[in-house]
Amino acid sequence: MSEIYSPSSESEVVDFIKNCNSGEIPIEILGHNSKPIGRLIQCSKSLHLKNLNGIIEYFPEELYIKVKAGTSLSIIEVELDKKNQELSFEPSDMGFLYSGKSNKGSIGGAVACNLSGSRRFKAGALRDHILGFQGVNGKGEIIKSGGTVVKNVTGYDVSKLITGSYGTLVALTEIVLKVQPKNEETQTLLIHNINLKRALNIFSKAMHTSVEISGACFYPAKVLNFFKLNDLDTSTSITAIRLEGPRISVLERINTLKKVFDEYKKTISVLEHYQSKIFWKDTTDLQFFNNSLQVVLKIILPPIHTDQFLNKFENEELKYVVDWAGNLIWVEIPENDSVLFRQLRNEAIKLGGHMTIIKAPNHVRIKEEFLTTIDENIKVLSLKIKESFDPKKILNPGKMYSGA
Amino acid sequence: MSTLAMPQIDQSVLNSREKIVRDLKRFTNPINVIADVEGIVPYETDALTAYKQKPMAVVLPESTAEVSDILKYCHKHNIKVVPRGAGTGLSGGALPLADCVLLGLSKFNKILEIDFENRCVVTQPGVTNLSLTKAVEHNGFYYAPDPSSQIACSIGGNIAENSGGVHSLKYGTTTNNVLGVEVVLMDGTVMRFGGKKLESEGYDLLGIITGSEGLLGILTEVTVKILKKPQSVKALLLGFQSIENAGQCVSDIISGGIIPGGMEVMDKPLIKATDDYSKAGYPRDVEAILIVELDGTESEVNVLIKKVEEIAKKNKATYLRISKNDEERLRFWLGRKAAFPAIGDMSPDYLCMDGTIPRKKLPEVLREITKLSQKHGLRVANCFHAGDGNLHPLIMFDSNIKSELKRAEKFGADILKYCVKVGGVLTGEHGVGVEKRDLMCEMFNDEDIQQQLNIKQAFDDKSLLNPGKVYPVLHRCAEGGKMHVHKGDIKFKDIPRF
Repeated sequence: MSEIYSPSSESEVVDFIKNCNSGEIPIEILGHNSKPIGRLIQCSKSLHLKNLNGIIEYFPEELYIKVKAGTSLSIIEVELDKKNQELSFEPSDMGFLYSGKSNKGSIGGAVACNLSGSRRFKAGALRDHILGFQGVNGKGEIIKSGGTVVKNVTGYDVSKLITGSYGTLVALTEIVLKVQPKNEETQTLLIHNINLKRALNIFSKAMHTSVEISGACFYPAKVLNFFKLNDLDTSTSITAIRLEGPRISVLERINTLKKVFDEYKKTISVLEHYQSKIFWKDTTDLQFFNNSLQVVLKIILPPIHTDQFLNKFENEELKYVVDWAGNLIWVEIPENDSVLFRQLRNEAIKLGGHMTIIKAPNHVRIKEEFLTTIDENIKVLSLKIKESFDPKKILNPGKMYSGA
Repeated sequence: MSTLAMPQIDQSVLNSREKIVRDLKRFTNPINVIADVEGIVPYETDALTAYKQKPMAVVLPESTAEVSDILKYCHKHNIKVVPRGAGTGLSGGALPLADCVLLGLSKFNKILEIDFENRCVVTQPGVTNLSLTKAVEHNGFYYAPDPSSQIACSIGGNIAENSGGVHSLKYGTTTNNVLGVEVVLMDGTVMRFGGKKLESEGYDLLGIITGSEGLLGILTEVTVKILKKPQSVKALLLGFQSIENAGQCVSDIISGGIIPGGMEVMDKPLIKATDDYSKAGYPRDVEAILIVELDGTESEVNVLIKKVEEIAKKNKATYLRISKNDEERLRFWLGRKAAFPAIGDMSPDYLCMDGTIPRKKLPEVLREITKLSQKHGLRVANCFHAGDGNLHPLIMFDSNIKSELKRAEKFGADILKYCVKVGGVLTGEHGVGVEKRDLMCEMFNDEDIQQQLNIKQAFDDKSLLNPGKVYPVLHRCAEGGKMHVHKGDIKFKDIPRF
């Protein structure tokens, strides 16, 4: 067990990291400890940022919120909801995957993992919504970048580098996020009982119209049984397309899509606002792999290769869901099938994509690399970047790959 | 011409000039290496013409392998390299150094692949921003970021500067619209960050290279995402008796849950200047005008127009006009887009500033600018990308009158410092370059800057790529220069600037 330290101020974080730096003591950085993600690491000290919480400022008319890094994502969302605003990258509640119950964790943790929900292909990832940050680097120096405005090219965009760096560059203390107005209406067009290839064609066709879809996922029949929605037939595959915006516009666009996909008219249905919200929340929260005890993988591909990729594994009876209009495949495989694991990773690389372990039992996390990165040059550069923030490599050492 | 502290000249490099030129000819077609004075002159400045410096040599490679060979050679021999796209940058990011090889990417001018299925375009970096939209618009697609210089600026330069445009609140800046790049580091290493997929693993190298002003690597290929054009676009032209009312209207629109495609404010001096120049038909009896552009489906736009109309009336708009057709909408924009030449007509010289401020601070900042205008004894007109808070004060002066350039620069620096003071930033879209380099300490302390220099070191261990830009030389904080235009003699004067 590592020694836990839970500072309640930034200056305490500075003192702690300075001490660890001078003693070359590795630190595992945690927010709410809600996401066991990344390579398994062992550190003698553990820095918990959960007490570094609270909203510093929120200006709805300026479309930003500035918070301390340990602030609960749920609290932020409640606060934004009061002003009818939201984080439009649609943060996932990963608690359902990891523990079977809601636990959104801290905003610092979400930033460190750069996890985005179903709206990602339309609204951008979390990394597109971070305007600035402040944090403490491995030398114990407070550093900052960005600001509170969307248009800012003053210096390098270090906020992007920090996002998705799994706590290996800085211990985040403050985060500024862009916020957006909530959509008045959400509706979902469902097409039942078609195969993935057709579903992907439908996504592509929809994106070649001006209807601006904000969700596009495909569920094979066998992963659908978790849904408990009155108007959702879960006996066959579901291809879902979400439309959001002013009510009048959503209705108009739904009708446009119905016309575009007239050939499927016998199997088309529409989920109204309330059920639509639940459908996409469940999808974003990965409810289909709720509390999975197997290995859950996130595979990102150019959408044109998604069908080819899954075809290759037709005989494996993969448990999968396709989201982000075909750009993302969530896959669950048995924990002891390392052959399949490697086949999936190799095929993803071959098709210009990558595969990340999102949840796995510890023995898998020890054995298999968390990230795909195979380019040695990128590894070397990443290591140099790591050293530029943390020369003694004490912050979450080895969390991403050995050395970084 | 203003003077500027730049990195120390390496005399041993200059002494070997002839050999270096000879060697460069081994890496590319010899006609791509320019070393004669006449040939070099066009490269001595970018669009920040206040600063000029002839490079030691210019090289215009034609392939990634050539770029890699040249950089490897320069790295080995400690030769500084300054990259250049179309040379339309406003902050001096492509200003050469006396002992540098200027590496121009003008021969990287082909679109490589249009991929509608993956909704992206793969292109060489020298292709202009507008060409990307032109290449895909037959299918109803476009590339979203639209810097005003889009007919001439290159996509590689856009990535280097993280260019914006008038639609960035809704559609993001360059960084939100790039999927991948091929990049050559200073030591010649060729790498790919991102690609046709939506995101990559590991550190966001694509994110850090975007907006790095040519300090981290040289782009040789770019993949950008393309979007379907909105079905309908309409605009409102609103007039107010006070900047406060216009500012409040902007805040209320956003608080009302509306994200316009574009939203622009002009103050009285600029209304007069642009209307005289372009005959846009703006109301002349108002203190401020606000253009609000909305896009989406036909019915959505109509609903939003109605909402904005109500908000405008609540904020005492004294002039309100809704575009009936595209022609009228474009006329609303006509004056706004003529802001730079209109000011050029009013004054022998002007400086264009580029700060970003929180939207609600607009009245306060404009009041301060008026005060500063009196203090420095120089006229100023203001345009404001209200959607994203990007403010462009245009400071008028006459460089023939001794001390006016200096006063104008001082005035500009005071404005930017005030932008930072109210919670804004030094530059929204023009970049730091050499222009705002020495004001960086207004926003960042030594530790922040040192961290950014350390990142630079990770990419470029000898600090040979575009040195002297963005970060103060020797951490000196003093006032730098601004985009200076003399007698309308703006470089690329045919390019719209707004």
